[in-house]
Amino acid sequence: MESIAAKPLPDITDLTRPFWTAAREGRLVMQKCPSCGTVNFHPKPWCIECGDRGLEWTEMQTGGTVYSYTVSHSVAMNHLGWQAELPVIMCLIDIDGGARMYAQVTDVAAEDMQIGMRVKAYFEPISEEAGIPKFRPA
Amino acid sequence: MRGKVAIVGYGRTPYSRLKPGEPVLTVDEYIAWAAELALERAGMSKSDFDGQGLGVSHAEVAHTVNWSAATAENLGISPNALIRGDQGGCSATSMLIRAATLIEAGVIDRALIVGADTPLSMPSLAPGLPLSPERTRGVFWDFQGPFGVMGATAQFALILRRYMHEHQVTPEQLGKVAVTNRYHASLNPGAIYRKPFTLQEYLDSRMLSDPIRLFDCVPIVNGGLAYIVTSAESAKAITDRPVYVLGFGETNNFYSGSRVFPDVTVTGFSESAPRAMEMAGVGHDDIDFLQPYDDYPFISMKTIEDWGFCKKGEGGKFLEEHDLRFDGDFPMSTDGGQLSGGQPGGANGGFMPLVEGVTQLRGEAEGRQVPNAGIGAVCGFGGIPYGRPGRSCISVILGSEA
Repeated sequence: MESIAAKPLPDITDLTRPFWTAAREGRLVMQKCPSCGTVNFHPKPWCIECGDRGLEWTEMQTGGTVYSYTVSHSVAMNHLGWQAELPVIMCLIDIDGGARMYAQVTDVAAEDMQIGMRVKAYFEPISEEAGIPKFRPA
Repeated sequence: MRGKVAIVGYGRTPYSRLKPGEPVLTVDEYIAWAAELALERAGMSKSDFDGQGLGVSHAEVAHTVNWSAATAENLGISPNALIRGDQGGCSATSMLIRAATLIEAGVIDRALIVGADTPLSMPSLAPGLPLSPERTRGVFWDFQGPFGVMGATAQFALILRRYMHEHQVTPEQLGKVAVTNRYHASLNPGAIYRKPFTLQEYLDSRMLSDPIRLFDCVPIVNGGLAYIVTSAESAKAITDRPVYVLGFGETNNFYSGSRVFPDVTVTGFSESAPRAMEMAGVGHDDIDFLQPYDDYPFISMKTIEDWGFCKKGEGGKFLEEHDLRFDGDFPMSTDGGQLSGGQPGGANGGFMPLVEGVTQLRGEAEGRQVPNAGIGAVCGFGGIPYGRPGRSCISVILGSEA
């Protein structure tokens, strides 16, 4: 049986590659609808508001607001790479002018976390091809 | 559709946590066992479903394609209609709605609905965790797992934290749900965890993903459930205690507010419950018990709010002010729910509110029987969408009289 990765890695497809490649280069991109302007995230096959299949990957601002957060004290999915980082602060972040996304916030004590906190993205490589956005207090 | 169909039989196998020495049953065996229990209670045989309906819920251990047809083959039933439950914790109630409409349309007269799973014996890279390949592949997982989303508890903790930011709810109020469910489990021989615990023990239980504790979570089990639904006319010939479907409502992929920045404190029950109550022609005061899909105590609380038993934001206070026990003024999760009863796979826990609702309305709940139960509310709550609670929310009103 194949072994389990320390942390989960994405299976990159043509649909999702622009996100991962951009994050590797230090940029946050999301799909924006050319017809209605809706920002779609996570990646969708067409605009969830108007159904336009011509979604365009668009660079987003890196600032956002914490919509909610949780402090995970245990590794629930057996990817033991998280163990060293516990507690992991997981958030839902409303990206300025973008959409809401799951992301980790670092460089802050769990007891200092607050909903409404302003955060800014930074990027970590997770493979040759892919990077991932994380956030820290702005 | 009010009172057009009725449930005439149900079955729930013993659950297993796979303790050493326990027999290890396959999903096929659990399905057959649950079906046998339902058939026995209805006084029917499997041949009664040749040319009729067979409903099969998703199993994460489904070991072949065409799962519902394969299950028909395994059971030796040749139905004229197959119904597939593919809505997580809404699968049981969604198949009830599909069966009801097929029966009302005259396509079939009756359906046997089954669901089982053996998540504890799933081949997995993470033994003991239900990490089926379907959960850990594809775009949904790729935009969660690598970002640090560690399972349902973390996802629901985000929803609860936001609720706590907008409204008042205390750990003590939520703990009352967990404690009461365990009390009900102590009265139900079929529940997996039956030793009562105190509110203090709840508060002291390990914090998993703050603000969700260990005792907020369901124990995963292997097991199966089944029920039989038929036309109201046929039901009267089968049993003297049919349980009628008085009303139902369903929402899928519900958003409160914008799809980009939705309000996660509201669930689809806010739309499906009023529709179910309107169809049934009942008000809140007519409902004798609530069987929510209690995957977490705060989901029970939000269910109470979104059904309209109290206003949004007052669920915690409602829990505090009401006696949730079977003989109290607001009986809820009277079988111990999934929190103490066990969750036989994410797609099959939703049979439990329905089966318990029928059990209560037939007066067969023995030591936990709600006095004079005539009308009950049962719920399905299925799937976790990206950053929101509950992909599907189904509300059903059942009654002992049409």
